[in-house]
Amino acid sequence: MADKEQLVASETTPKIALVGNPNVGKSVIFGLLTGRYVTVSNYPGTTVEVARGATTIEGQPVVIIDTPGVNSLVPMSEDEQVTRDILLKEGPTAIIQVADAKNIRRALLISLQLAEMGKPFLLDLNMEDESAACGITIDKTELATKLGVPVIGTIAIQKRGIKEVQKKALSVAPATFRFSYSAEVETAIQNIKTLLPKSPISRRSIALMILSGDKSLKGWMHEKLSDQTIDQLEQIRDSLSRLYSEPVAYVINKQRLRVVDELMSFCVRQERREKEGWQSWVGRLSMHPVWGLFVLAGVLIVVYEFVGKFGAQTAVNFLEKGLFGHYLNPWAVTLFSKIFSFSPFLRDLFVGEFGIVTMALTYALAIIFPIVITFFIAFSFMEDSGYLPRLSIMLNRLFRLIGLNGKAVVPMVLGLGCDTMATMTARIMDTRKERVILTLLLALGVPCSAQLGIVLGMLGALPIWATFLWFGVVGGSLILVGFLSAQILPGDRSDFMMEIPPIRRPTLINIVTKTFARLEWYLKEVVPLFIIGTLFLFLLDKSSLLPKIQNFASPLVEGFLDLPKEATEAFLVGFLRRDYGATRFFDLFGKGRLTPIQAIVSLIVMTLFVPCLANVLMIIKERGMRTMIAIVGFIYPFAFFVGGIINWGLRIL
Amino acid sequence: MKEQSRRVNHPCGQIVARPHEMDELLERVWTQREKGKEDQTSLLAATPVEEGERWLKGLLAEKLIHLEGGSPEGEKVLFTPEGEKEAREIIRRHRLTERLFADVLKTSEEVWEREACELEHQTVLTEEAVSAVCSFLGHPPTCPHGRPIPRGRCCSEFKKDLTPFVIPLSEAQVTESYKIVFMTPENHRRLDRLAVLGILPGSTIRIHQKRPSYVIRCGETDVALDLEIVKDIYVRKG
Repeated sequence: MADKEQLVASETTPKIALVGNPNVGKSVIFGLLTGRYVTVSNYPGTTVEVARGATTIEGQPVVIIDTPGVNSLVPMSEDEQVTRDILLKEGPTAIIQVADAKNIRRALLISLQLAEMGKPFLLDLNMEDESAACGITIDKTELATKLGVPVIGTIAIQKRGIKEVQKKALSVAPATFRFSYSAEVETAIQNIKTLLPKSPISRRSIALMILSGDKSLKGWMHEKLSDQTIDQLEQIRDSLSRLYSEPVAYVINKQRLRVVDELMSFCVRQERREKEGWQSWVGRLSMHPVWGLFVLAGVLIVVYEFVGKFGAQTAVNFLEKGLFGHYLNPWAVTLFSKIFSFSPFLRDLFVGEFGIVTMALTYALAIIFPIVITFFIAFSFMEDSGYLPRLSIMLNRLFRLIGLNGKAVVPMVLGLGCDTMATMTARIMDTRKERVILTLLLALGVPCSAQLGIVLGMLGALPIWATFLWFGVVGGSLILVGFLSAQILPGDRSDFMMEIPPIRRPTLINIVTKTFARLEWYLKEVVPLFIIGTLFLFLLDKSSLLPKIQNFASPLVEGFLDLPKEATEAFLVGFLRRDYGATRFFDLFGKGRLTPIQAIVSLIVMTLFVPCLANVLMIIKERGMRTMIAIVGFIYPFAFFVGGIINWGLRIL
Repeated sequence: MKEQSRRVNHPCGQIVARPHEMDELLERVWTQREKGKEDQTSLLAATPVEEGERWLKGLLAEKLIHLEGGSPEGEKVLFTPEGEKEAREIIRRHRLTERLFADVLKTSEEVWEREACELEHQTVLTEEAVSAVCSFLGHPPTCPHGRPIPRGRCCSEFKKDLTPFVIPLSEAQVTESYKIVFMTPENHRRLDRLAVLGILPGSTIRIHQKRPSYVIRCGETDVALDLEIVKDIYVRKG
């Protein structure tokens, strides 16, 4: 990427960091300033990774850094630590503080900390339209005079005000605003300041972080200070904390907020709000204990119609039967037969029963692609509209039962699209215990969209009780396993404390770009796996190992589960990708090789399988090898065991 | 020896101090009455016979109780108007203390039970102090065991408003505005996280809904919270 080269080469180019609370539109502004897109999300924590983009401002090349949302620069989460560390260690030339104008009180809490740091910054009051609708007027001139930094109003999604931000971004100076804490705190600050080295941010602000008991600063302190000095610092902090019954961090925050409230009394006026718009009505409805369920049902129906019907049926039919079945595959068969007329082996490699084109690419592009793309569009829509956090509120209690809380709703829903991607986002959970449970449940029983499409297709051809049985067994396994692991695993449950953004009309361009970003990631991940899986099958077939493995697995597959011997083949590829495995069953079922009982048993076993090789790799990366072995070692026996029980139960009935 | 109250020097002047055991017995008359029992046998069931008789005589001599014959279980023990007033104050102090130590100070049950037994006695807390604690707690109607706390004068003055002075946010009404008075979260981290969302003493706050999860609004920020967090935020109307 051209951007990247420029970024690496640009140690001396000025850096501008975008800093602000979560959900204030930082990423949109970042996109507008750089022209390069990053994920924009309503959910706190989606932008854990820091985005950087190169651009030129007033003819000068600059690097823009999009930092994760923060509520304070004394970190309390991984996100906040990343942002603070960027300011502390990278020393950006300038900062653009992006604020949600209607939540100016919380924004000014950060402005004060930036002022204390002595960093040049400007305050961008974004979403001015929303604050106006709330009846909030902010005197920007007065606020700019008080703070001593430029204050610019913007409406990022309409690109309003961005030009001015761009123009002033490089010419900003540190804030002139000064304020002091109570005498005891000030004395402690003075005492600490004398012990600190020079840093990209002011000593005063580091002193305040130390007084706040910022544990994330430990690494930096050990790097820069002697053990003796650290002891001294801790003594100063301890003697200060003895003066208060409340934690010092809280005392400092309270005093800051008092300063903010005073500032606001000069510059902010709250008048009667305009009549509430349809958005807040929808927002309330969607988290109502009763109506919320109807909204949820409605959302599910719409998503099903769009993903399950339009994506998985109409589009799949068109691509698989039409485009691939009629045109591409026959054409490819002719082509490869000509090229490899000398070798049936090579011909079959591409266009045989287990051919790369006729099987891998057809599955990946004709069957999976339309399902995944429609799912990601639907997901982006739910995410950008602010519906997902409300769903968290609806499901918090249920999730508490399985050792998680409402926060886990977003990864779980994302898991319905792609479990690998969802496993990566399990980081947003606060404790390790919750992350492990979430990872386990995703791997165990959340079918990804590709598989769900195939499962639903197969269930559609079975009597209706099969759907209920499948749903009941998979859902029941999730709740049972979640509940038990919540009892067994050591560690804590965390608080459910989540900001609920207002319902907003999603912008088309955001949805499109986001869907493309996810799709790109997905295709890079999936298509190679499909090809590897097909190659694996192809080799098994050609080397006539398949019958041997089938014989070997026959007590389990044919005996315990009562499935035909071809099922082994489906389970084998199911280790690579469970939707691929499910597709084999779909084929077998279509050819009349499975009875209804066999179909439902195979569906249940396959759904409970670990999603795919990519997911296993992601579990290793995120949770470690030992956790992966434990999870995988539990899931496969469990899946076969549940399948066996269902088989046995159904046969008795 | 005849048991009687004696005058003691107290910072606030001389007041009548009864032996603590007599207070305990008065208290017991009250709690037995709550259970619908008034007979002497069940009243003294938990006390060694000799002791119990002695303190009972003491209370009779102070004219705090009187006996009424007739029931098969033994004589009935009833309050005199003076005794009822005294017992009421003891119970009130005891149960308010339980509330204070259990809810606000979050001590273990063992601790709040013990403290309540110590602080219930007349010589420890002045009436003003009791009223102050009662107002601070928001004139709670019951103790942590769920038994009623006798109302004091401070409560009846407040009754016009019906809602207590300071209440946990979990008991606040949906859509009314409240001011946060104090917060007693279990850990500091929680306190800090609430603070940066603008949720701290002095802030105005509103409950948006209680089910299926608590959603509160502070300024223009909506936050979903667990019940455990909400009940540690104490608010007053306004």
